[in-house]
Amino acid sequence: MPIDRARLHRALNPRTVVVVGDKGPDFRWLDNCSEFSGNLYSVQLDEKELPGIEAKGVKNFRGLMEIPGEVDLVICAVPRNVTPFIVADAVKKQVGGIAMYTSGFVETTDPTGIELQGKIAAMANEAGMPLIGPNCLGVYNRQLGVKFAEAQEKGEGGAISIISQSGANGSGLTLGAQRLGVPVRRAISIGNAAVLSEADYLEYLLDDPETPAIAMYIEGIRSGRRFFELLREGTKRKPVIIWRGGRTRAGARAVQSHTASLASDDAIWMSLMRQCGAISTESLEDTVETMAALVLTPRSSRKNLALIASTGGQSVAITDQFERAGFEIPELSQASYDRLSEFFVTIGGSYRNPFDASSTIGRESDNLAKILEILAAEPVIDGVAIELQVRDSEKGTARLDGMLSLLAEYRSKTGNPVIGLVPTGGTMGEQEAVGARARIHVAKAGFPAYSSFRAGAQALGRVRAYYEELGARTR
Amino acid sequence: MSDVIATARKQRRTLLSEVEAKDLLAEAGIPVARAILAKGPKKAVEAAEAVGYPVVMKIVSPDIAHKSDVGGVTLGLKDAKAVRKAYKEMIERVSDAAPNAKIAGVAIQNMAAQGIEVIVGATTDPQFGPVMMFGLGGVFVEVLKDVAFRIVPLEPRDAAQMVREIRGLPILQGARGSQPADLPALEVLIVKVSQFVAAHPEVAELDLNPVFAYPNGALAVDARIVLASA
Repeated sequence: MPIDRARLHRALNPRTVVVVGDKGPDFRWLDNCSEFSGNLYSVQLDEKELPGIEAKGVKNFRGLMEIPGEVDLVICAVPRNVTPFIVADAVKKQVGGIAMYTSGFVETTDPTGIELQGKIAAMANEAGMPLIGPNCLGVYNRQLGVKFAEAQEKGEGGAISIISQSGANGSGLTLGAQRLGVPVRRAISIGNAAVLSEADYLEYLLDDPETPAIAMYIEGIRSGRRFFELLREGTKRKPVIIWRGGRTRAGARAVQSHTASLASDDAIWMSLMRQCGAISTESLEDTVETMAALVLTPRSSRKNLALIASTGGQSVAITDQFERAGFEIPELSQASYDRLSEFFVTIGGSYRNPFDASSTIGRESDNLAKILEILAAEPVIDGVAIELQVRDSEKGTARLDGMLSLLAEYRSKTGNPVIGLVPTGGTMGEQEAVGARARIHVAKAGFPAYSSFRAGAQALGRVRAYYEELGARTR
Repeated sequence: MSDVIATARKQRRTLLSEVEAKDLLAEAGIPVARAILAKGPKKAVEAAEAVGYPVVMKIVSPDIAHKSDVGGVTLGLKDAKAVRKAYKEMIERVSDAAPNAKIAGVAIQNMAAQGIEVIVGATTDPQFGPVMMFGLGGVFVEVLKDVAFRIVPLEPRDAAQMVREIRGLPILQGARGSQPADLPALEVLIVKVSQFVAAHPEVAELDLNPVFAYPNGALAVDARIVLASA
């Protein structure tokens, strides 16, 4: 029986959640749902756990069937041998779906585990019931407050949703995104994907009106053909970032042709990414940094940037990185240069683009306002990347706030991307910590903030290339 | 024509002969240097006269995958006398090198004018199914692995990107004063091969190596097709 999409929707957007088999002293799963806005119940037979569950104000039942009303999501944390009983009850109760945290299945080489997974998957498939996992962290829903990591935020909105084969990376991607000021609408940790494949979850998020963009961490692809077809069409509707881990080596296949001998897994994967117009990343850092550029800059495929750095050396370094990432750093018009020459401090500075600007904007002055005003009027410039110096926020954030509000004004006036760079590669001790705090501050103000020129250039470059490709594909 | 595949299946072969492969590809509208199967020196001369001199002679045997390794390829045969002599010598050489190989005869094809050598291929990826490959021939593909892949079916845009994605592109664009290759003709050829592969799921592997890229047009000079095990 095909998996019921309406049931998957219930499981991912639950009104009633039941945690089966949570244990003290942590009660991890009940705690993960402590901000959940719907009905939360527990199922636990172990008498000695009951006081702890009651202390949390959660009503406990002795079985799923005893729970009144509909159950949308079962979070299952029982030992693996018990899982068939829970799945059987869930089928009988017609729950929306199960998120199965329990591990010890095909991810081991243990035949009992492999057999057990086959058994519970068959039960779920027969009933058309979505089973998320097993060996996963399950479901995060920002608006409802269902979580699988404590630091996952509850709140309105959400700009991107995550699918992760690895639970730790699913949590890491959510928290990394949040740190960079990106609210995550959903995260689904899919684990062994025994019943639904990565393509099924991708399809759900592509169709989800509350998911504007998608980020994925995947290792193996179970239904490759469907994944390819969904992705190729899907990226025309919303951007999809994919970080693929553990690229497999070409198997020992009997190969009789040249083509087959060259068709490495990696070569095929990179071609697929390009053919489908997906954004490919290679690490957690890459992925969250790209998410920030995607979500926190206006959609643009244009290449010409103004780069504002604080010193001569940095203005060379920032230019290298942005050019390598596919951007151009054009000269400005004579009219702009004439206006800049009226106030720009050219002893130890330059305004040709890149800007070497610390002696000009480092003083208490409205010079940054003037520069941004000139850039806003400059038709050749499509965006701004600016180095925000650590020393600008050493004595509180007032000065940084002033700069950020000028940048916000530039951004809303022009609709151009603006990114903030607070490089800390050359700092240590308290300076480094100040830089990290400054980035958080920049992120809170709604700008992508990066700890190196390279990170910012690459993240924005990937996003720009996506929009350029999208334009060419949908023309 | 498609009974080429049925015949191979009946004979429990997965490797099509060059003549069979080219017949199939020509039927699909892919430009190939047609080859005629000939058994015996007399038939070889007739075939050479049909395709026009100069000709190339290649051994046809279901048991031989790499023809040049056993002395099974002779180039530049200019007349009937050369063809007769080459036939006799080739059969001797191949019989020495591969005494157990069953020899069906030789394939005779017109010796195409030299173009820029490229390779167009297809294979079956275990995860994503049929995929296409494009690259420059010779050292570029063997040593540098300078190739581009796309998953079947290809849109014309995919073929255009493939051709331009390889590092050796300047060679196709006329580096060192040579005439640029007809890139649109290569793109059309790639898309046609993609359509051929999509229409024939039995085809597991396919190499057109080399394809000669000319200032005007492109021509597959050699072709190998391997069927999936039934």
